[in-house]
Amino acid sequence: MISAQHVTRRFGARVAVDDVSFEVRAGEVFGLLGPNGAGKTTTLRMLGGLIPPNGGTVTIDGRPFTRETAAALRARIGFLTETPGLWDNLTVEDNLAVYARLFDVPGAANAVERVLRLFGLWDRRTDRVVLLSKGMKQKLALARALVHDPQVVLLDEPTANLDPQTARTVRDLLRDLRTQRRAIVVSTHNLDEVERVADRVGLVNTKLIAIGEPATLRRDVFGRRLRVRLMTPSPPLPDLAAVIGRAGAQDVRIDGTALSMVLESPDRLTPIVIRRLVDAGAEIREVYDEEPPLEDVYLRLLKPPVAPA
Amino acid sequence: MKPDRIAALMGKELREFRSSPAAVLPVVALVVLCTLLPFVVVVMLPRITGESMASDRTIQQVVAFARTKLPGLAGLSPRAAAEAFLFQQFLFLFLVAPIVGAVSLAAYSVVGEKQGRTLEPLLTTPMTTAELLIAKVLAAFLPSLVIELIGLCVYFALVWLLAAPGVGAALFTGRSAILVGLLGPFASLAALQMTIAISSRVNDPRSAQQIAVLLVLPLVIVLVGQIAGAFVITSTVLLLMSVGLGAVWVLLILFSVALFERETILTRWK
Repeated sequence: MISAQHVTRRFGARVAVDDVSFEVRAGEVFGLLGPNGAGKTTTLRMLGGLIPPNGGTVTIDGRPFTRETAAALRARIGFLTETPGLWDNLTVEDNLAVYARLFDVPGAANAVERVLRLFGLWDRRTDRVVLLSKGMKQKLALARALVHDPQVVLLDEPTANLDPQTARTVRDLLRDLRTQRRAIVVSTHNLDEVERVADRVGLVNTKLIAIGEPATLRRDVFGRRLRVRLMTPSPPLPDLAAVIGRAGAQDVRIDGTALSMVLESPDRLTPIVIRRLVDAGAEIREVYDEEPPLEDVYLRLLKPPVAPA
Repeated sequence: MKPDRIAALMGKELREFRSSPAAVLPVVALVVLCTLLPFVVVVMLPRITGESMASDRTIQQVVAFARTKLPGLAGLSPRAAAEAFLFQQFLFLFLVAPIVGAVSLAAYSVVGEKQGRTLEPLLTTPMTTAELLIAKVLAAFLPSLVIELIGLCVYFALVWLLAAPGVGAALFTGRSAILVGLLGPFASLAALQMTIAISSRVNDPRSAQQIAVLLVLPLVIVLVGQIAGAFVITSTVLLLMSVGLGAVWVLLILFSVALFERETILTRWK
C-alpha cells in the first residue's frame, strides 16, 4: 500500500535520508526506529507527501505524489505530526470539525463525535484547547489524524506525553486499525512501544540499517540462543557446560543457574542437549529460546563499527 | 478549488477573531476615525470658526473644477457643493481604513500558524495552497468589510443629518457606489493578498504589515490630489481602477501561491 523506493532527501549539503526503501502493506504496523536526527520525521513527511524526495519515489497504492495526485493522496492519509499543532483558542470539537470539513468527511458531526468518544474527549468537547493537558492535546491530535477514517496512518511519536493508560489505549487503537486493514507507520524511539505493536521495524540512521520482524532482527543480530534454567547449581555448571559442549552446543555461557548456548541446528540438537544434561544429573526447570530485548538489537546495530587496529 | 474547504478554514479564522476581539480593534478604531474626521473638517470647524468652506477661494476653484467632472454637484448651492465634494473625497478614507486595519489581521495569519506550529497539520490535508491563502485573505477581509459597511451607514446617516440640504442625495451616486462597492473591496483584497504572500515568507508579522501598508500610499495620493484640485477621478476611471485592482488581486493570488514554499515552512521553521 505504501512504498518508498530508494528515497533520498538532502537539505543543502546535509543528507537527512539516504537511499531508504521499504513497503508497508494494508493491515500492517511498521515501526520506524532510530535515534534523534536519524531522518524519521523527514521520511514520514515524504511518505505523507509533505516534502518531495530528491531521489527515489514514494507511492500510495502504486500512485506517486505529483502536483495532480497530491491532494487526492493526502485525503487518504492520516498524519500525526511531531507537535500536536492545535488551535489553542478553539474548542476541542471545533478543532476536529474544521479538519473533518477540510477532508470532506460526509456526516462530519458524526465523525467528530466518533473520534471524541474513541479518545475519551467527549466530555471536554466544549473546552478550549489551551485548557487541556499535554496528554489530552496529544490525544486530540491523534483524533484529528483519524477523523477522516484514513487508509494510511502515519504517526510521529504517537505516545509522546501520554500517561501509561492512554498509551495503552493508543496501542490498542493501532491493533484495531491493523485489523481494519489500514497501513500504519509509527515513527518513534520508544523501543517498548515498537516491540508491542509493530509487525515489522525499520531501523534508520540516515540510511536503512536493518528491516524485518523484531524476532528476525534479534536472530540476525544475536543468533538463536537456547537457554536452560536449572533448579540448583548442582552438578557444577562448568561441568554441565562441558557436557553440552561435547553434544554440539557452541558459545556456552553460564548465567547464575542458567546455561545459554547457540545451537547450529536447534530442532535436532535441543532434545540431545536436554537428554545429556538430565543424564549428567541436572534438574531442569525450564527451556526456552532467548529473546534479547529489542533495545539490545537497536544498540548493537547503531554501534559504529570498530576501526581496524 | 473547493469552496467548502475555503469556508471551513475561514470559519476557523473568524472563530479565532471572535475569541480574541482585540484583534479587530485596529479596524474598528480606524473606521470610527474615518467616519468622524470628515465631520470635524467639513461641519464642525466652519461652525467653530464661523467661516463657510464655500467662501474659501481655493475650495471655490476646486469645486468649480469638480462640477465639470462630477454631475452630482450640479444644482447645489455653493456651500452644499463644497460639502458634497469634500464628503465624496473623504469616502476614500473608507478604502484606507479597512486596508490598514485588516492588514494587521492578515499579517499575523500565516506567521501565527507557523509560530503556533499549526501549519504542518494543515498542510497534511487535501487543501491546496491557493485555497489556504484565499481563505486567509477572505477571513481578514470579511470582518473589516462588515465594520466598514457599518461605518459607511453611520457616515451617510450623519451626512443626511448634519450637512447642508441636498448633500446627502448628492453622495448617492454611481461614483460613490463604485468607490465603496468595487474599488474599496478590490483594493482591500489586493492589499491583503500581498500581506499574506509576504507573511508566508517572513518570521515576524510586523515585517508583512509594514510592507503591505505601503499599498495605502497610492490611495492617499489620490485623496490628497483630488482635495487639492489637481485632478478629479470620474466614475469611468474608478471603474477601470476597480477592474485593474481585481486583476491585480488574481495575479497576487498566483504570485502568493508561487511564493508559498511548503517545504521551507516545514523544514526551516522551528
